[in-house]
Amino acid sequence: MIENKVVAMLLAGGQGSRLKELTKKIAKPAVPFGGKYRIIDFALSNAANSGIEDIGILTQYKPFLLNSHIGIGSAWDYDRNVGGLRILPPFTSEDGGRWYTGTANAVFENIDYIDEQDPEYVLILSGDHIYKMDYNELLDYHKENDADVSIAVMEVPWDEASRFGIINVDKNNKIIEFEEKPENPKNNMASMGIYMFKWEVLRNYLIKDDENPESDNDFGKNVLPMMLAEGNKMFAWVFDGYWKDVGTVRSYWEANMDLLDPNNTLNLYDKDWRIYTKSRNLPPQYIARGSDIKDSLVNEGCYVMGEVKRSILFSDVIIEEGAIVKDSVILSNCVIKKGARIYNSVILEGVNIEENATIGSEGDSHIYMVSDKNIIKE
Amino acid sequence: MEKCLGVISAGNLENNFGALCIHRPVYMLPYGGRYRLMDFSVSNMVNNGIKTIVVYTGEKIRSTMDHIENGRPWDLDRRFKGLILFPPVTHGYTSNKYGDIPQFYSTMDFYETVREDTIFLNHPNIIAKVDLKAAFKYFKETDADITFIYKPQNDPWGEYVNCEKISLDEDNNLETMGMNLGTEKEFNMFIRSGFMKKEAFIRLVKEAIEKGDSDYLLDAVIRNKDKYKINGYRFDGHVENIRNLKSFYDANINLLKKDVARELFYQGGTIFTKTKDEPSTLYTESSKVQNSLIANGCVIEGTVENSIIFRGVTIGKGALVKNSVIMQKAEIHDNAAVVNSILDKQAVIGEGVRIAGSTLMPYVVEKKQVIRKD
Repeated sequence: MIENKVVAMLLAGGQGSRLKELTKKIAKPAVPFGGKYRIIDFALSNAANSGIEDIGILTQYKPFLLNSHIGIGSAWDYDRNVGGLRILPPFTSEDGGRWYTGTANAVFENIDYIDEQDPEYVLILSGDHIYKMDYNELLDYHKENDADVSIAVMEVPWDEASRFGIINVDKNNKIIEFEEKPENPKNNMASMGIYMFKWEVLRNYLIKDDENPESDNDFGKNVLPMMLAEGNKMFAWVFDGYWKDVGTVRSYWEANMDLLDPNNTLNLYDKDWRIYTKSRNLPPQYIARGSDIKDSLVNEGCYVMGEVKRSILFSDVIIEEGAIVKDSVILSNCVIKKGARIYNSVILEGVNIEENATIGSEGDSHIYMVSDKNIIKE
Repeated sequence: MEKCLGVISAGNLENNFGALCIHRPVYMLPYGGRYRLMDFSVSNMVNNGIKTIVVYTGEKIRSTMDHIENGRPWDLDRRFKGLILFPPVTHGYTSNKYGDIPQFYSTMDFYETVREDTIFLNHPNIIAKVDLKAAFKYFKETDADITFIYKPQNDPWGEYVNCEKISLDEDNNLETMGMNLGTEKEFNMFIRSGFMKKEAFIRLVKEAIEKGDSDYLLDAVIRNKDKYKINGYRFDGHVENIRNLKSFYDANINLLKKDVARELFYQGGTIFTKTKDEPSTLYTESSKVQNSLIANGCVIEGTVENSIIFRGVTIGKGALVKNSVIMQKAEIHDNAAVVNSILDKQAVIGEGVRIAGSTLMPYVVEKKQVIRKD
C-alpha cells in the first residue's frame, strides 16, 4: 500500500429506519452486533487489517454515540501522527451549510480533504455491513485491469436479487449494465456498495454529478451509471465470503444467530483477522451454580444464574435464577429477572424484564423487539 | 490527591512461586481471568485520583513492558504526569546492592524535582480496594509523617505467618513493626501500603545510604520511628496477600465468592488492564459450566466447575476442569481432566490426559508446556 496510496471513505450516515427502536437514538453503523461489536467495527477493522492508513468517516444521522465509539480511532490503531482517522460531518462554508444529500455528495463535499491526502485510489466503504474482506485483493484486481472503478459484488439468492443493485458483466467480468432493484433480474450478482476508484476519475465525476440538478447524488443510482454510459473501464470483483446488510429486525436477529453456528463463515475467532472494538474493560463473566448455558455467546461482565440457550448476551447482562432465555439477543446492561421467559427476542440496551414476565413462546415464528417503552412484534 | 505520587515497588519473592515466576515478577502474575496483580494497584490509584505513578519494575522487566505499554490501559499515557517506569540500575554505586533503598536512591533526582509533596507507597502483591481518598484525608488530618494501612486479620490457623505485623498504641500511633509468627489469633496485618511525606521519604533514604544501616525502606522507618509521627489507618475490606503458590491459587478461587468479586472488581471503580480484542466466549451444545469465572475469547465444549478461566482458553468435548486456574490461551483437549491445577499461559493438555493436584498444593503446568499421552 505504500507506493499506491489508498484513502478510504466510510459512509456512516445510514439511518436504518427499518431497524426501528434499534436506530431510534443512533445511526445504523453504531448498532450493537455479535455480543460486543458495533456494525461499523467490521468495516473499520477490515480497513485496519488491510493496511489502509487513511480513513475518513462520513457521519450525519445522530452521530453522538458513533463519535464516542470511534473516538480518535485508537481501537483500530488509527490514532496516527500522519494520516489516520478523521470524522467528517457535514459543514458550512461561504455558500452556506449543506447536509450530505447522497452517498456521492458526501464524498464530493470532502474533495478538499481527499486532495490533501493526495491518493492514487479512493475506496468507498459502507458502515452498514457485516463482513470480513481484505481490500488488498480488490486493489490488486483493480490494478490488474487498470480499471477506473472496481465494484465488489457477490452472489445473492435469486429470489432476493430484486432487492439489490444487480450488475451484469461480460465474460471478463467487465461491467456492461446496472440494474437498480430489477423486477426480473438477468443475474444474481449484487453490488456490495464497496467501490475502488481511481481518484482522478472519481473526482471528475463527482464534480459532474454535482453540476446535474436532477441527480440524487448517489453512487449506485447516478455516478456509476453515468460513468458506464461514458465508456469508463468498470470491473466487478467477486467476493464469496460472509456478507450481510442487516436491514430489518428479523435479519438483524438472524445475523446474530448466524454466529452461534460453529461452521459460520464469519469466524470471529480468527486471530489473523481480528475485529476490533472499543473495550469496556469489564470483569469476566460469572456462570453460577444451577445455571444452564448452551449454544450461546456471552460477553464480559455478565452474571448468569438462569437458563440460556441459543442466545447472545452482550456485556453486563444479568440472568437471574429461574429465568429462561432462548433464541434471543440481549444487549448490554439488561436484567432478566427471576422466572422471566424470553423467546425469539431482541432486548434493547438497559431494559429490565420483570419477574415472571413472558415474551414470545418456544418455537414462535415471530421476532420481538423489546425496548423500555414497547414490544414490537415482527 | 493531586499532590500525591503513587510508587509501586515489589520485592523479590519469585522463588515462592516455582515455575510461574521463571519469566515474570510476582506482580505480573495473571489474576482473576483477565488481569495481572499489578492492575489492581494501578487501577485503584487511578480511580482514587492519583495522576502520577512510578513503577520499580524489578529485573524481570519484559513481561512488565509488554503489559503496561506506555500506561494506556489506565489512561496514564499523559503528556503531563502519567506513568513512569524505573528499571533496575545496572551500573554505579547501587548496581550490586539489595533492597529498595538503593533503587530509591538511584532515582532521587526525580523525587527532588516533582511537585508532589506526598508519596503513596504500594506493594502490588497485596490486593485491597482501599479507599485511598479517605486514607489520605486521615493522613492529612492527623498531620502524620507516615500513615501505614493495616487490616485486623483473624488467623486461627497460622496462614499468615511471615506477613508484616504492626502494633499501635491507643492513639493509633505505631509501636512496633515486624514479622508475624502466628503467636496471636488475630493481628494487625500491615498491607504494605501507606502515605509518606516526601521530605520524610527523601530523608529516610539518604540517611540509610549515609549510615549504611538499612537496605529496605521499612527497616529505615522502624529504626527511625521515634523521629517521625507514624500512625495506622484501619482497612476492613477484603485483602489478598499473595506471597506463595497456595495464596495465589486461593486468591483466584476466592473470586468465585460473590461478595469478594463484587468488592475487588467493582468497589471504588473497575479494574483496567490491557485489552485483547477477543470475541465473546462461545458455549456449545455440550458445555456444562458451574460456579466459574470465564473471560472472553474462550470456546467451551466441556465441563467447568469452580474454576477461573482466562482469555482465549479452549476446553474440548468431554473434558473436565475443576477447582483450577487456567491461564490465557491454554488448550484442554477432548476428554482431558484437569483438577486442582494451575495451567500457565498456552499450556496444552492433550486428549485424554488427566492431571490433578490438591487444593493445598495445586499442580502447576508451566507456560507453553505440552502434556500428551504417550
